Amino acid sequence: MAEAPFRMFRFRRYGSRLLLLIVGLLVLALGANFALVVRANRRNANERIHADLDKGALLFTHRVNARLDDLSSRAALMSGDYAIRQLFLEDRTDPATVSSALETYRVRMGVPFMALLAADGSRLGDTGGPLAAAALKPFQDLVARAALEDDPKAHGYARLPPNGPAGMLYSLLVVPIYAPRPEIVAWIGLALPIDHRFATELKEDALLEVTFYYGASGAMSPVESTLPPAALAAAASSNIEEGDRTVSVGGEPYVTADRDLPLITPGRAAIALQRSLRAELEPSLVLERFLLILLLASLGVAAAVAPWFARNLSRPLRTLAEHTEVIARGDYTSRLKLDRVDEIGQLATAFDRMSEGLAERDKVRDLLEKNVSPEVAAQLMRDGSALGGEEREITVLFVDLRRFTAMSESLPPREVLALLNRYFDRMSGIVEIYHGIVDKYMGDEIMALFGAPVPLVDHANNAILAAIEMKSALARLNAELEAEGLARLKFGIGINTGSIIAGNIGSSRRLNYSVIGDGVNVAARLQNLTRMSQYEADILVTASTLAASKGRFRTRPLGAVPVRGRDMPVEIFAVDGAE
Amino acid sequence: MKRLAAAVLLAASLLTARAAGTVRVFTRDTGGRPVADAVAYLSDPDSPAPVSPPADPVAITQKDQEFSPYVTPIVVGTKVVFPNLDNVQHHVYSVSPAKRFEIPLYIGDSKETIVFDRPGIVTLGCNIHDWMVAYVFVLSTPYYAKTGADGTAEVSGLPPGRYRLEVWHPRAGTVGRDLVVTESSDTTQVISVVLKPDHRIRRAPDAGGADYK
Repeated sequence: MAEAPFRMFRFRRYGSRLLLLIVGLLVLALGANFALVVRANRRNANERIHADLDKGALLFTHRVNARLDDLSSRAALMSGDYAIRQLFLEDRTDPATVSSALETYRVRMGVPFMALLAADGSRLGDTGGPLAAAALKPFQDLVARAALEDDPKAHGYARLPPNGPAGMLYSLLVVPIYAPRPEIVAWIGLALPIDHRFATELKEDALLEVTFYYGASGAMSPVESTLPPAALAAAASSNIEEGDRTVSVGGEPYVTADRDLPLITPGRAAIALQRSLRAELEPSLVLERFLLILLLASLGVAAAVAPWFARNLSRPLRTLAEHTEVIARGDYTSRLKLDRVDEIGQLATAFDRMSEGLAERDKVRDLLEKNVSPEVAAQLMRDGSALGGEEREITVLFVDLRRFTAMSESLPPREVLALLNRYFDRMSGIVEIYHGIVDKYMGDEIMALFGAPVPLVDHANNAILAAIEMKSALARLNAELEAEGLARLKFGIGINTGSIIAGNIGSSRRLNYSVIGDGVNVAARLQNLTRMSQYEADILVTASTLAASKGRFRTRPLGAVPVRGRDMPVEIFAVDGAE
Repeated sequence: MKRLAAAVLLAASLLTARAAGTVRVFTRDTGGRPVADAVAYLSDPDSPAPVSPPADPVAITQKDQEFSPYVTPIVVGTKVVFPNLDNVQHHVYSVSPAKRFEIPLYIGDSKETIVFDRPGIVTLGCNIHDWMVAYVFVLSTPYYAKTGADGTAEVSGLPPGRYRLEVWHPRAGTVGRDLVVTESSDTTQVISVVLKPDHRIRRAPDAGGADYK
């Protein structure tokens, strides 16, 4: 159960795993890179805009102050004018004269409105027009404020007239008239409009959109702006609060800095400085698009290259796997011979060396099997060559050619050997068919074991059946030999079942698997007895074999015969065939 | 002027021998430093003492393109002349309600004698030299004096009675207190004033542009 979560990551093909790994890593690395760049761009753009907005707000203050300073110095120059002083030398200043004189100064200074107030703030005259009535109170407020200042002048924003739809925002300034300094005999009041021209000039300097808002109470609406009218309409009833915000203007996000303009008339006014986030981000967006294309292209290339790479890597692995199958089938002759020096090359070399080792082992086994029986060879391969020994009951069979030595004298040695091998081949084949083993060849004699080294239940039965079969085989061989013009062969078979000791017999340098014991001697003795003509039998077995065989054979009891090494004579039977 | 006042006071004290008190006024700023050019004057609002302006005019000169003295206390009806000792012309004027006048550009002796016939503070200026400023304090009481560099002004010959002591300075305005003067009064009143920054226009050391670079 614990490995269930990993099952989905199991792949039949190494290539799929590699593909996922490479593509996954690429997505992770490039994706994280992309996300970080996007985030950094947004943050940088925002920071830049905020810094620029702060600069813009400062610039606005500076522009206003510069304008005021300019006007202050002009007013100061004007206040020292002899002609102005003359107005105050009259015992009773004439308002009409004062007003008309002011008009001269208004034109000289290039302002839309100008007023003259006495030291106590009362009106002495003004340049008339729609602002005359509305501006008096704000100017008086400014005079009261300026009188407290060390440098007696004051500035403030006002909406004139304060009420009604025709109102406009003005920047108001009062400066003193000295006679002489520091004696203030009167105040000059000046009004400058915060109009479209002012907003446009500020925009050109600060590269920001500039909007002035005014509201009698609560919601504020734009009164002057550099934004296009359509965009402005969207921001109409914005809730303006001192500080920075991001607003949607015509569907575009604008970072906005709002600064209150303290009004000396009722209501609230503010300046909003704005810059489009999209415009600021434009260069970054180009980079982001490029990064995105790079990401997708990298993924494409990785997706295309990874399978090829994986195939390249897994092909030798598959070759190795196939080669393993070949080896498993027992073919040790084919070699991988991969021309590589890497780990896979080393593995292939190791495989080839293994094949060589296996082939060598096979050759050894083959030779072993040719020299000893396959069963003994198998046991030797399995158990090694320990000089062990075990006692068990088996059936031993001896088969010996009669008068072969005499017969062989009439034949060339090569043919003798060929004939003998031909005979041995047939007989040995039959022994193996009946699960016996050829223990050894002794001259023209064969010693065969049934039940050793591999235990065999029907060892006695198999031995007798083998003997009967050998007899038939010999008859067939003789027919062949006759046809070839050669002499017939005769043999005798002795079979005995008994307890023997089996094991590897010999020195530690040279071993033979064999059996020793009384049972072996008895079988050999019986083989010799087949020479006795009175028995007229080619196959002699002992009673113990017959008893163990449980088979049905045609037998003739031949009585008991004494056997060397045994006190009791052994009862023997001739086997004439199977029933 | 001071001499004149002293003479008047001497005469008064002779007339009312041994029946007069003296009030010394020490004027200092918030830092404890003596304040010169402050006018200290005492008056009895219930029974104002009559003033008699001197027969000869008081002079406020223009020298080195400055008025001298800076502050001149006088009584109502005093005649003042403005001799110009400089080698440039001056144009003395005042737009103060207590006395509006001007003496157009002139040099040497004062072309006009101005009679200050209303009490109040008159600020004098020069129409062509903005830094020139002086004050004439026109009083309606004979008991006054101006502080010297040590910040002290002495008003003597005061008949016993209750008085309002007021001290005025161009940069401090007016401060005052009530006090009682007896025949043997010889007190020192310490008056602290808050001086506003001096807003007089500062002239370059060698005005006139000779060394102007």
